Order: sequence, then C-alpha cells, then structure tokens
Amino acid sequence: MNKILLKLVMLPSGLWRGMGADTDQLRAILDVRLKMDDRRPPSLGRPNQKKEVKNATWKNMLISVIMGAVYMFPLITVKDAIFGLSIYLGLLMVWLALMLITDFSNILFDTRDKFIIIPRPVNDKTIVLSRLLHVFIYLLRIVLPMSLAGWIVLGIKYGLPSVLVFPFAILLIVFISLFFVNFCYLLLLRFAGPQKFKEIINYFQIAVSVLFFAAVYLIPKAFDPEKGFNITITDHPWIRFLPSYWIAECWHWLDVKSFPIYLPGTEWFAVFAILAPLTCFWVLIKFLAPQFARNLGGLDVAETSEQKIQSAGKVTSGKKQFYHKLANAFNRSDDAKAGFIITWLQTSRSRTFRMRVFPTFAYVPVYFVYLLLSKHESFKDAWIDMPNNPGYIILLYMCAFVMMNALNYLYISEQYKAAWVYYAAPLKTPGGVLSGAFKALWLKYMFPFFAVLSIFTITFWGWATSLDIVLALVNVTLFAVCMVRVGARHFPFSTSEQINQSGYRVIRAFLSMFLAFGLGAAHYALVKRDVLGLNTILKLIFLLLSSGFLWLVWNSYSNTSWAVIKQADDK
Amino acid sequence: MEPIITIRHLNKKYGEKNVLNDINLDIYPGQIIGYIGPNGAGKSTTVKILCGIIQDYSGDITIAGKDLRGNVLDVKKMIGYVPELAELYDMLTPWEYLNFIGKLYHLPDNVIEERSKRMLDTFGLLGNIYQRMDTFSKGMKQKVLLTSGLLNNPSIVILDEPLSGLDANAVIMVKELLQVLKQEGKTIFYCSHMMDVVEKVSDRIVLINNGRIIANGTIAELRQNDTDSLEQIFSKLTSTGNLTKKADDFASAINYTNTAN
Repeated sequence: MNKILLKLVMLPSGLWRGMGADTDQLRAILDVRLKMDDRRPPSLGRPNQKKEVKNATWKNMLISVIMGAVYMFPLITVKDAIFGLSIYLGLLMVWLALMLITDFSNILFDTRDKFIIIPRPVNDKTIVLSRLLHVFIYLLRIVLPMSLAGWIVLGIKYGLPSVLVFPFAILLIVFISLFFVNFCYLLLLRFAGPQKFKEIINYFQIAVSVLFFAAVYLIPKAFDPEKGFNITITDHPWIRFLPSYWIAECWHWLDVKSFPIYLPGTEWFAVFAILAPLTCFWVLIKFLAPQFARNLGGLDVAETSEQKIQSAGKVTSGKKQFYHKLANAFNRSDDAKAGFIITWLQTSRSRTFRMRVFPTFAYVPVYFVYLLLSKHESFKDAWIDMPNNPGYIILLYMCAFVMMNALNYLYISEQYKAAWVYYAAPLKTPGGVLSGAFKALWLKYMFPFFAVLSIFTITFWGWATSLDIVLALVNVTLFAVCMVRVGARHFPFSTSEQINQSGYRVIRAFLSMFLAFGLGAAHYALVKRDVLGLNTILKLIFLLLSSGFLWLVWNSYSNTSWAVIKQADDK
Repeated sequence: MEPIITIRHLNKKYGEKNVLNDINLDIYPGQIIGYIGPNGAGKSTTVKILCGIIQDYSGDITIAGKDLRGNVLDVKKMIGYVPELAELYDMLTPWEYLNFIGKLYHLPDNVIEERSKRMLDTFGLLGNIYQRMDTFSKGMKQKVLLTSGLLNNPSIVILDEPLSGLDANAVIMVKELLQVLKQEGKTIFYCSHMMDVVEKVSDRIVLINNGRIIANGTIAELRQNDTDSLEQIFSKLTSTGNLTKKADDFASAINYTNTAN
C-alpha cells in the first residue's frame, strides 16, 4: 500500500525538483515516515495486535471503509438529495477533523526530525515538502477508503457525472478540516504558549472526542422522528450556514433535476463551496503554517536547568501532600501505599490514560440522554417523565463501563520498562501493590463519579433510592474487582500498548461484562416489579450476598502471588 | 574473611542459547568489583540474577550467608540496583518517584524525605525536586536513579553503567562516592564499558566473555607486562582478529566509491 502511495506522490517529481527539493532525499524521508506510520498503534480504540504493530495502515483503512459505509446511510434514505448529501459530507468532515486532532498531533509533535534530519545535508524545501506530502498521503489514506461507499452509492443512484464531482468535493472537505484543526491548534498555541500547549491539546482532544460521541448519538435525535426518512431540509433551515450544504449544492448545478433545492434563495451558496475552502487553504499556507512551525519549535525545549536551585529551606517546607494522607489512611502495608501513590499520580499525568479514560466519563451522561430520548418525542417530555421510570439503575450501573475502561489502561504506560523496580524491590507478593493501585483508581475516579450520579439520582428520584445506590455501588465494585481478578494481572503501568491479547483473555473480559449486566438486570428487576412486598428485604439479601462475594474476591486479589504475575508476563 | 557473594556453577539459558556458562565467583565485602565484558557477554544477565529479577537459573548463589533462591526478599532488601538504560516514570517529580521507591522498600516517610532531599541536594538537584522529570536531561535522570538505588542504604550496590550522561563534576563525585561507600564496608558491583574508570576504581576485575569468566584478579595480576592498560588486556582477551586491521578495513569502506556507475 505504502509503495503505491509513495509512487503516486513521487509521480510529479519533476515538479518537486523544480520547487527546489531533492527528490531522492524526499523519497527516502517519505518512505521512512510511511513505514513508521505503519507501525504506530492506532490512537482510537485499544489496539490488540500481536507482538508488533504491522500493517496498521490496512487496518485503519478498513475502519475508515466501515465508518464511511455507516455515514452513507443518509445518502440512501433521505429523499431530499441535497439534504442527504449535506449530512453525509458533514459527517465526513467531522470524522476527518476528529482523526486529525487525535492522530495527527502525534505526527505533528514528532520532534525527532530535529536530531535525525536537520543535522544532515537536506535543504529546507525538501523538509517542508516532505511534511506537506506526508500530510497529504495521510489524508488520502483516510479519505479514500472512507468515501468508498459514497462513490458507489452516487454512481448507482445518480450516474457517472455526479461521481466526477465527488473528488472535487472531497478536496474541499479536506481543506476545511485541515484549516479548522490548524486554526484550533494555533489559537491554543497563541494563548497557552508552547510549554502548556501539549497538555492543553490533550484535554482538547478529550473534549473533541466527547463532542464527537455526543454528536453521533444525539444529533439524529434532534431531527423529528415522526417524519422519519421523509425529513426535509425546510424543517432545518439553519443548514444553509454549514459548509457541507454549500458543497452539496455543487451537485445541483450539475444536475438540477436529481438535486432540487428546497431552500429558496440559497442556490448561489455553492459559490461559497469554492470560495471558503480556497480562502481557508490560502490562509493556512500563508499565515497559519509558518506561524505554526515557528511556535512548534519551542515545544521540546526543556525549560529545566540544573542551575535552578532554590533555597533548601523553601523546598523542605513542602506540606504533606493530600494523596499521601489518603495513601496512609486507606492502606495498611507499604506495598499497597506504593501502589496507591504511583496510581494516584500517574493516572493524572499519563497522556495515554487521560486520553483513553477521561472521555468515557462524559460518555455516560450522553448515553443516558440518548436512552431517555429513545422513548420520547422531545427532550422536555423525556425529562418530565424521567422520575417515573427507574432509569437511575441504568445510570448507576454505567459506572461499571467507566471503571472497566479505566482498569484496562491502569496497566499500560509508554514507560512500561520503568516497572523493573517492582522486580528489584523486596516485595513478598505483588498483591499489596495491586490492591493499592485498585484502591487509588476506585477512590480517585470511580467514587467521585458515582457520588455525582448518586446526587443526581437522589435529586430526581428522592431518598427512597438510597438502598439502591448502596447496592449499585457494591455491585459495580464487585464487578470491577472480578474483572481484575479474572483478567491477566499486571503491575500498574507495566505493560506496553501493543501487548498481545489472547482470545482467552477476551473471553474472560466478556464474562466479567456479562456479570455486570447480570447484576444490573437483577437489581433492575427488583426495582421494577414488586415481589410480594418483600423488595426491601430482597435487596438487603442481595446486598449481603454481593458484599460477601466482594470480600472473597478482594481477598484473593490482594493476595496475588508472584507466580500469577509471572504467568501473565510470559503470555 | 567470608565472601559476601558466592556464585557456584551458575548457568542460564535463553531457549537453546547458553548465556551464562558455569560462572564461579567469590566476592568479599568492602570491595569494588569491576565487571566487564563485550556486548552480549552476559553481564546484565548476571546482575539481574543477583538482584532477584531473573529467578530461573541453575547453580547456587549465596549472598551474605543466605541462599538466594530461598531468601529472595531478604537479599533484595540488601541490594541497591541502578540498571543500565535506566527507565523511570518521568511524568512524576523526583520527590514523588523517590517516595514511591521508598515505600517499596518499606522505609518510613521521614527517612525517605530526609535521605532523598539530602542526596538530591548533593547532586545539585534539590531545586528540581518538585519538577516533573520529563524535562530533565539524561544526566539529571541518572542522578535521580542513583539516588533511588541507594535510598535503602544497601550493603551491596550493583551499578550498571552508572556514569552515563553525567557531567564531569558529577562523574568525579560519584567516583569519590564509591570510595566512601567502600570504606563503609559496602560491596560494589560495577559494570561498565569505560575501561579507564573501571581500572581506576576497582579492587578486582572480572572479565566475562561468551558467558564464561576468562579473567579474575587485581589489575596487577591481570597485567602480563607493566605497560598494559586494562583496555589492552580487555582487547587481547576478547577481540577476535586484529583491531587495527578492522579499523583499516572500516576506513577503506568509507572511501569506497562505485566508479562503475
């Protein structure tokens, strides 16, 4: 795949040479960059490649094909062709922007160039061109497979001419997305300065992935379900302000019959479709890109110097940290305290952890709103009707999903090699460290989140739900402990992302997920139906049983032996 | 005097490959042992076995009168280890990292605080104690690692290339430190490729090649004539072929230009 792409971009090598680039160097640089892309684990979703990442390109492309096929639905189902196209193109644009923000920053911030390429006799033009072409190939690899379904549908439904407009539209979409992403980055860089930039980008990425998730789930709900597939653009006249609508209008000019325009007076908006992306592209090349490169230069300059010595008195006056007090309060053994401390600190520092875990907290309310809306016509109705259903049970049990995800990433770190200390330290059994790590995760993330959900529950469903809240807390915790107990046991932050996941482990993960559903469903049934007026007693018995199991599983987990850890490491 | 470390018939296999071949060694307390050998000779493997990180080996190791196999925990408590290519969680600050390590060695909070602050102070790092290590230079990280390796006041110190990345002043300080530790009766196991340093600091030198000990003695004993440096001894014993000729070959390879094309 890469070979083909490389050949493709090197076709106009005369042009590149004319621009002052050294084509041999250009090819070599691009070749290496593409190879590295191929071995980089994907940034979305947990990778489960065996041993080393190979052919990441093919896998990413397959995902893009599938996503593209999903997005294509409005193209088939919506009767108003322009409207369908607008939605489709809009989705493509959002997806592209998301991919750029989450994935592309890795490429952007790869400052190894400084040490590897800059010291060699490579001229500036070659370097700039290699970056631009890399971006181009990168986009091509996402956009082509993603639009595959679109090409086919357009061809079948409207014939060849409409297909011919498509690449042009794609190009416009790429410009707009690229502009948007760069503009956001630059704005951040302006206000945050290079030092804080990486940190903020990380939170920005988190926010965007939440937004994206919310958009996919909730935007379809914003349309009136009554009209179903017959929805027309006249119900949503604000669409005229979206770039995807402007681009869709280009098809109108090609084929007035198949692509009628229902928003009167917007026909000439198609002009924007050309003007806006071109303006974007011009601003991007002329202003944003150079400024960006300048600002980025400051990114990896270490601001720490050994000379920065403060007075010793000032340093020693540091107060005892909060996490330290917690570690002492919640753990008896030193091993557990160590596990608690490292988890408490590392979970808020590690980029991987934040990126993969923080968004899931926001997914819970989004998904909850989605469920609410699925039964009602408007959000207002849903909101009013909400306290009449025991939906809070679902809300509380969704905590299990957040906890499961957090636990998955508890063991992963880019610096997994630093885990040698556990093996060199005099640990009798690894159980102490493991239990401390679990407690930190529970206390720092799950408990506060659960508390917020509980307050929400009590506010809308009343104090009568207290017993349910306690039972749900015990059950979710039981699920989480079962998950770490039956899963492969590792020290916190001791494995790499590319760890080999055997099918066996996947099955066990499914089993524990099944357990969460089972517990939740049993609890839901108890709330929903009254069994001979004995519900409170039944809940209490349930609570007692769950607590007992929790105690048993926890004991076994906190006594994890070296043999178990070794076994997990060897797999 | 009783040896503090006794290694008898130590063998280690990775698959079919013998990494260590019948290693026998006695190490006495208060000595600095220079443990040298070419890349892949088995140095790091030996060290990892002594630290209790690798536990499937054959042979017997006794440390301070205790069998390593049956007393891994007690032995680990005695040992301070600074690994090569040191890895640490650099999103933490030195203060946080050392606290974490101290807890793993069951040190009380006040001891961790006092030791780590004073040790970092002598390295000139006290001002950086609350800064995240991701912006640290290699030498600064190495200083934190040395501190973490010595935090538990070990009686056996195992150092694998401890000077890498350190500036000249820090190198002098660490070399002095080794002498002080030795006078306190600590045993130091020093692995390095820097022959001049090993020659200067070590009381005894153990040379390992292809998993076998091929030389073991003081520098004076190893010398075949008065002028040999450790570097020369090393190359005589471990190199295959003439190094001068290899250098010539390398240089002529640089000069190769294909005139046929």
